[in-house]
Amino acid sequence: MSNKLQQIINKQNEQQNSSLEQRDVVVQLVGFVIGNEEYAVPILAIQEIIKPFSWTRVPQVPKYVLGVFNLRGAVIPLIDLRAKFGIPTKKHSDETRFIVMRHGDDVAGFVIDRLTMAIRIKKENISAAPDAMSGEDSMIDGVGKEEDKIITILKVNKLLERDF
Amino acid sequence: MDEFQEILQDFLVESFELVEKLDEDLVELESTPEDLELLNGIFRVAHTVKGASSFLNFDVLTHLTHHMEDVLNKARHGDLILTPDIMDVVLESIDLMKALLRIIRDTSSDAGIDVSECVARLDKVSGGDGKIESPVAVPNVAANVAPIVEAPEEEPDYDSMDDNEIEAEIERLLNQRQNEDKAKREAKIAAGESVPEAPPAPIEDEVKSEPEPYVAPTPAVTTPPPPPPAPERKMKSDDDAKAAAPTKREPATVEQTIRVDVKRLDHLMNLIGELVLAKNRLIKINDDVEERYEGEEFLEELNQVVSIVSLVTTDLQIAVMKTRMLPIGKVFNKFPRMIRDLSRELKKDIELEISGEDTELDKSIVEEIGDPLVHIIRNSCDHGVETPAIRVANGKTEKGTIILKAYNEGNQIVIQIDDDGKGLDVNMLKNKSLEKGIITEKEADNMSDKDAYSLIFKPGFSTAATVTSVSGRGVGMDVVKTNIEKLNGMIDIESELGKGTSIKLKIPLTLAIIQALLVGVQEEYYAIPLASVLETVRISKDEIYTVEGRSVMRLREDILSLVHIGDIFEVERILDSSEHAYVVVLGLGTSKLGLIVDTLVGQEEIVIKSLGDYLKGIDGIAGATIRGDGGVTLIVDVVALMQMARNVKATAMVSNSSGAPEVSKEKKKASDYTVMIVDDSKTDRTIMKKALESMGMTLVEASDGQEALSMLKSGDHHFDAMLIDIEMPRMDGYSLALEIKKYNKYKTLPLIAVTSRSGKSDRMRGVESGMVEYITKPYSSDYLASVVQRNINFKAEFL
Repeated sequence: MSNKLQQIINKQNEQQNSSLEQRDVVVQLVGFVIGNEEYAVPILAIQEIIKPFSWTRVPQVPKYVLGVFNLRGAVIPLIDLRAKFGIPTKKHSDETRFIVMRHGDDVAGFVIDRLTMAIRIKKENISAAPDAMSGEDSMIDGVGKEEDKIITILKVNKLLERDF
Repeated sequence: MDEFQEILQDFLVESFELVEKLDEDLVELESTPEDLELLNGIFRVAHTVKGASSFLNFDVLTHLTHHMEDVLNKARHGDLILTPDIMDVVLESIDLMKALLRIIRDTSSDAGIDVSECVARLDKVSGGDGKIESPVAVPNVAANVAPIVEAPEEEPDYDSMDDNEIEAEIERLLNQRQNEDKAKREAKIAAGESVPEAPPAPIEDEVKSEPEPYVAPTPAVTTPPPPPPAPERKMKSDDDAKAAAPTKREPATVEQTIRVDVKRLDHLMNLIGELVLAKNRLIKINDDVEERYEGEEFLEELNQVVSIVSLVTTDLQIAVMKTRMLPIGKVFNKFPRMIRDLSRELKKDIELEISGEDTELDKSIVEEIGDPLVHIIRNSCDHGVETPAIRVANGKTEKGTIILKAYNEGNQIVIQIDDDGKGLDVNMLKNKSLEKGIITEKEADNMSDKDAYSLIFKPGFSTAATVTSVSGRGVGMDVVKTNIEKLNGMIDIESELGKGTSIKLKIPLTLAIIQALLVGVQEEYYAIPLASVLETVRISKDEIYTVEGRSVMRLREDILSLVHIGDIFEVERILDSSEHAYVVVLGLGTSKLGLIVDTLVGQEEIVIKSLGDYLKGIDGIAGATIRGDGGVTLIVDVVALMQMARNVKATAMVSNSSGAPEVSKEKKKASDYTVMIVDDSKTDRTIMKKALESMGMTLVEASDGQEALSMLKSGDHHFDAMLIDIEMPRMDGYSLALEIKKYNKYKTLPLIAVTSRSGKSDRMRGVESGMVEYITKPYSSDYLASVVQRNINFKAEFL
C-alpha cells in the first residue's frame, strides 16, 4: 500500500519536474510583421493587443512617435515601429494592430503591420544577435530560428526607452 | 511605551498649534500692552506647554517655559511693562521653545539645546538675579502661583511606574491644579474683586487637607480622582470674573474634527478626477443622443439623470476640494513676527495689517506659497518702506504700513501685498537692468511701465545699492516668479512712485482639476488653463502687423505680440484659414502674449493627466486630458509657451505657402484620370459608371458624404473630379462640398452636382457650396461624359 502511494508521489514529482524543465527551455513569444520582417516579443511583456483607433499628435517628438491615445483612462504614447525601423510608413489597414507593451512602469503602444501568431520556441533555437547588432544599445535580444524562417526577438525595455 | 508615544504625539500637535498662534499674539501684544485678554491667552500657552512637558519629563523645556511663565505672569499682574527689549527676550525664548519642540519631535528627548542664557535673561526681566542653575527649581517670584511651580524636577520616571502609581500621580497633578485655582481665587478676593462663591466641593476640601501635594506612591492613594464637574464649575466662575484661566480648560466637547492622512485625500481626489472625466463623457453622449432621437420621451428622463449626475459630481468635487483646504492664515501667522524682527533690524517703523486670513487654499498650494510671500514681504520692508526720517521728509507718517490680504476672485485666490513705501522707479529699474545686461537699450526704450516692473523678477536683478542680510541678493524675487508660475499663478504689479507698490498674486484654487479653454487649430485641439487666459478677441487678418519679423496687434492701448499656436506646435496647415482669427490673450505673471487660434471651442473642466515618462518634458505641453468623446487633448504649458514664442518668427497668418497645390502628375493614359462618384443609390452609381467607363478613366465609388470625405482625406487616390449627389444620408452633397472646399489643396478640385433637384434655389446652393457644374437627372450619358471631360481637361488623344 505504502509502496503504491510512494509510486504515485514519485510519478507526480516527475511530472512536475518535467513540466518545470519544459517551461524553462521554451520561450513564448508573440510574432508580428513590420515591413518584410517578422519580429517577436515575449508574451508576458504584452499588456494587450488592440485594433487601431484615433490618437492625438504630440509636437516636438521624432516622427516615429505618432502621439498619445486613451487606453481606458490612461494616456499612453503611440510609436510607429515602421518609422522607428526606418521603413517607409504606410496606411493602416485592416490587419494593423496596436500592441501595448509594458516593462515595469513604462507602457507604450506600438503600431505593427499585422500579427502572425503566438510562438513557442525552444531556448536552444535562439541565438544571440549578430555581433554588429548586439550590445547594450541594440534593440535586438536574439534571433529565433524556426523551420522555415528566422524571427528577430526584440528587447521590450529598449523599445520602451526614450531615445530622443 | 505606546501610550507614552501617543501622549507625546498629542502633546506635540497641540504645542505646535499653540506656538504658531503665539508669535502673532505676542507681536500684537507689543502694540497693545494693556490688552489683558491677549496676555492671558499667551500666558495660557506657556503654561499649558509647561504643564504638559513637565508631565512628560522634558526638564529643559519645563525649565524654559517656567521662566517665560514667570515673566508673563508678572506682566499679567501689571508688575511689569512689556517693553520691546523685554519682548525680544520673550520672543527669543519662544524661538528656543520651538526649537526644543522640534527636537522632541525628532528625537523624543529635549537634550541638546542650551537654554541657560535665555533663562537667565528671563529671570532678570522678572526681577531675579539671573543666576540660575538649570534645570533646578528656581525662586518663585509670584507667590500666588506657588503651588504650580514646585514639583516638576522631582518627578519620577513614569515609564517605570505601574498603573497604581500613575493613578496616584494623576491625582497629585489634579490636586495641584485645584490648589492653584483656589489660591488664585483667594488672591483675587484679597485683591478686592468679587468672586462668586465657588460651590462647596467636598472632595477638594479633602484634598486640601492633605499636607503635601505630592505623596509618594502608596496603595493608599487609590481614591478615584475628583469628579470633573467641580473644576469645571469653578472655571466658569473664574470666567465670570473675567479672570485668567491659567491652564487649558475647555470643557470636554464632542470632537468635531478628525485627522486624515493626506494620502487618502489625494486618492479621493484622483477618484473624483476619474468621475469628472466620466461625467464629461456622459454629457457628450447625452448631447449626441439628444440630436439623434429628438423629441423622444425617454430623452427627458435621460436628461434628468445626466444633469443630476453632473450636479452631484460637481458638488462632490467641491466638497472633496474643501477637505483639502487650509486657511491661508497658517502661512500669514508667521509674518507679524517677521515684520517686527525686520523693522527692528532695519531700524524702520513698519506695521503689518493682515486681512482675509480665513481664505482657504488647497493644502499643496498653502505649502508652496510661504516662501514667495516671505521674499515679497522682505522686499517690501527692505526696498519699499523708507526709513522714518525719509518718510517724514516726504510728508508721510513715520510708520510705514504693509497690508497683506487674501480674498477670493472667481476661481482664483488673490493674495495682495501693498506697501506705502517709495514705489518702483521705472527709469531706475531700466538703468539697473541695462547695467547688468539683463535687457538691451532697444528693449528698454520699448518697455511699458508694467514690463519694467516685472524686471524685478529677473534673475540677477537687485535694486538695493548694498546687499543686506534681508534682501538684495537678487535671488529672492526670481524664486517668487518661478514658484508662482509653478502653481499656475500670475503676478501683477502696480506701483506709483513715492506712494507705494502693490503686488497681486493670483493663484488657482486647486491643481488637479482645472478649468480650461479649449481651442482648435486645423484639426487639432488644445486646452489652455483658464487661469492664464485674460481674454479672447476676434480679429481680422489685416489687424495683424509685422514689426521686426514678429507679429503684433493693437489691443486697446497696448501692443500685444502674437504667435500662432500652429507655429509653436508644428501644426500642418491643411485647412484654409478664414479671414478672421481668434486671439487668446495669455497673461502670466506680468507678461502677456496673444495666441492666434483657428477656433474657440469653449470652457471645460479638465483633469490633468501626465504624459508619462516616455513623453515627459515636451516643451509647451503640461500634460494631457481625456475629453468627453474619449479622445486625448494636450494641455498647453503657458510658461513654456511664452518662452517658445520668443523664438518663433512671424509666419502667423500672412504666409500662404500652402496656396500652391501640388502639381498634378502628367497624365499618360486614360486610367491616370480618377473620378469619384458619390451617390447613395447603387443604381445611380452604376448609371454614372457606365457613362464614364468607356473613356477608360479610373472610377471610385462612395455611398455618402462621410465616406467620400474620408476617402479623399486618406490620400489613396488623387482625384481629378467628383460627381456628387445632393440627397444622401449622413452628409448631404452641399455639406460635403463645403467640407472639401475648406482644404486648400482641394480648392481647384471640380465638384459636379448630379441631382434630381432642379429648383433655382437648389442650383444657387450648389454654387454657394462650391460646385462647378449642376447636372439634373435624368441626363444622357454623353452629356455627363462631356461635362466630366471638360472639367478634368481630358486629353482628346485618349479617346
